[in-house]
Amino acid sequence: MSLLAVSGLHVEAAGRPILAGLDLSVAAGEVHAVMGPNGAGKSTLAHVLAGRPGFDVTAGAMTVAGADLAARSPEERSRLGLFLAFQQPVEIPGVSNMEFLKAAADAHAKHQAQEAPSAVDFIRRARQVAADLGLDAEFLKRGVNEGFSGGEKKRNEILQMLLLDPKVAVLDETDSGLDIDALKVVADGINAFRGPSNAVLLVTHYQRLLNYVVPDRVHVLAGGRIVRSGDRSLALELEAKGYGWLDD
Amino acid sequence: MAGSTTDAEALARRLLREDHPAYAPWRGRCRFRKAIAAVGLPAYRTEAWRHTNLGPWLREIAAHRQGPAKAATGPAVLAPPDASIADLANPEARELAAEHLASTVDLARQPLAAVNALLLEAGVVVAVPPGKHGEAVRVGALAGRFQHVLVVVAAGADVALVEEAGGYLHRFVEVVVGAGARVAHFRRQQAAEARQCSLLGVKVEERGCYALAQSSRGALLRRNDIEVALAAGAEANLAGAWRLDGRDHLDNQVAVRHLAPGAKSRQTYRGVAGGHARAALVGRIHVAPGADGTDAALSTRNLLASSTATAFAKPELTIHASDVRCAHGATVGALDEAAVFYLRSRGIGDAVAREVLVRGFLREAIADPAGQALLGIAA
Repeated sequence: MSLLAVSGLHVEAAGRPILAGLDLSVAAGEVHAVMGPNGAGKSTLAHVLAGRPGFDVTAGAMTVAGADLAARSPEERSRLGLFLAFQQPVEIPGVSNMEFLKAAADAHAKHQAQEAPSAVDFIRRARQVAADLGLDAEFLKRGVNEGFSGGEKKRNEILQMLLLDPKVAVLDETDSGLDIDALKVVADGINAFRGPSNAVLLVTHYQRLLNYVVPDRVHVLAGGRIVRSGDRSLALELEAKGYGWLDD
Repeated sequence: MAGSTTDAEALARRLLREDHPAYAPWRGRCRFRKAIAAVGLPAYRTEAWRHTNLGPWLREIAAHRQGPAKAATGPAVLAPPDASIADLANPEARELAAEHLASTVDLARQPLAAVNALLLEAGVVVAVPPGKHGEAVRVGALAGRFQHVLVVVAAGADVALVEEAGGYLHRFVEVVVGAGARVAHFRRQQAAEARQCSLLGVKVEERGCYALAQSSRGALLRRNDIEVALAAGAEANLAGAWRLDGRDHLDNQVAVRHLAPGAKSRQTYRGVAGGHARAALVGRIHVAPGADGTDAALSTRNLLASSTATAFAKPELTIHASDVRCAHGATVGALDEAAVFYLRSRGIGDAVAREVLVRGFLREAIADPAGQALLGIAA
């Protein structure tokens, strides 16, 4: 079953077409990578899935676990099980990382008509996940992303993903700005997350991350559409040849 | 605003002419009358009063004669065990009062100090001896519409000052921070369907340290004048946060005066205004001739939570010395929609996301837990 399905998606921003008939389907248990040159619309796809204001979906459909996203707010999409790891997470001074994480977990629990996790249990779990990502407990007390290094911000995104345990995780350029050690930590987090009941969409410019998180499928996004799909070897081919040959 | 000048003139004439029932008459009235005769009462649209029309407040004063003040509803003033508290009307208050009363502000700049003195109904003098005090000086509800609280903190003392209750038309608080002493002042202004003006005068002697954390909800009219004077090597950390709604009005006018070399001051203000509320913050830094090595900074940021709220933020620097570091910044804006989306993308609803962001914004200024509770921003 397709956990994430996108069909015939057309998106405009300020009247300018960005996505032009994009089709994509990621089944449970699969990791797909979307690659493409700068300006191809990769980040737009990620943000439109999450419901970012400012984009007009002019045609097409998007579903998560069969639920239509179109009329749903960003928070509803999150509660349905969609997660977007931001390329550039926002800094929020004054709000501690823990307060933010707890607010998100509580919102999800409420949606699922579950009791909110107790503060003690939640803190224990958050600390454990943070430790797995090489982040100490102090990290959770700091303002959300405030003064975080690039690597810390990306790890914080993975931390949120692991705590919220979504059905579909869309990771937007999560590998950008990471040194090789940080990249391995982030990749370990993604590999720990991937499982038979969820799906992962990696949006990336480079195939470097794919050495550590091996995708089941690789898609090339250019001109607002998927122009080629293949297995992992497609990523290696792109790295060797660049994106120019796709025009041929 | 029609009427305000007339109200001021009528009140000024009355203050100059009438003898009110004597409260602590030994204080003398002459210099206060002279001050009012010289500078008059605040007039709307003059520079210092461009954000606050005192007309309705003046009418409230004019409307009631000096009848008996309403009874206080809670403990008036508490102090650490070894500190002394005296009613201003009592002889034992006289010596300290004679030295310090109305000494922290210039009557020409603060005419309401003179109004307060002439209409005074309740006064308390607190003397805090040297040493670290586990208990705070607490200023609660005083039985009077015009109140004066003088806190004299001895050299080397370390004490907290907590100011909570309202219930006044005008409250004048003076804090004298002795050499090397430390005072942490927590000021919590509750929401009120009232018009309240306050004046805070602080004198920090050499190497003394004064910190203010002021949390304000709105009122029909709330005006806070704050004057802090710093001697050599003294330090002041002023923080203010406010959260306004409806038709709240808040006008904060702060002046920090670096009078001698090597003093340091920090001012941090964060405000949120929704509804039709109006907020103003004018933060002044004065560096006197010879106050070399001054290190001063002021940051004021305002969020507008509705299209009908207004906020005015203005730093003013006057520098007459060399080798001075003065940094300042002022912003007025709306919530960062990218931050709102970030929170919503984690399942947090729009209204909650905005509330979380507002809380974080105000907490940048106020770490005081009771102040946070007052503003509804506790973590």
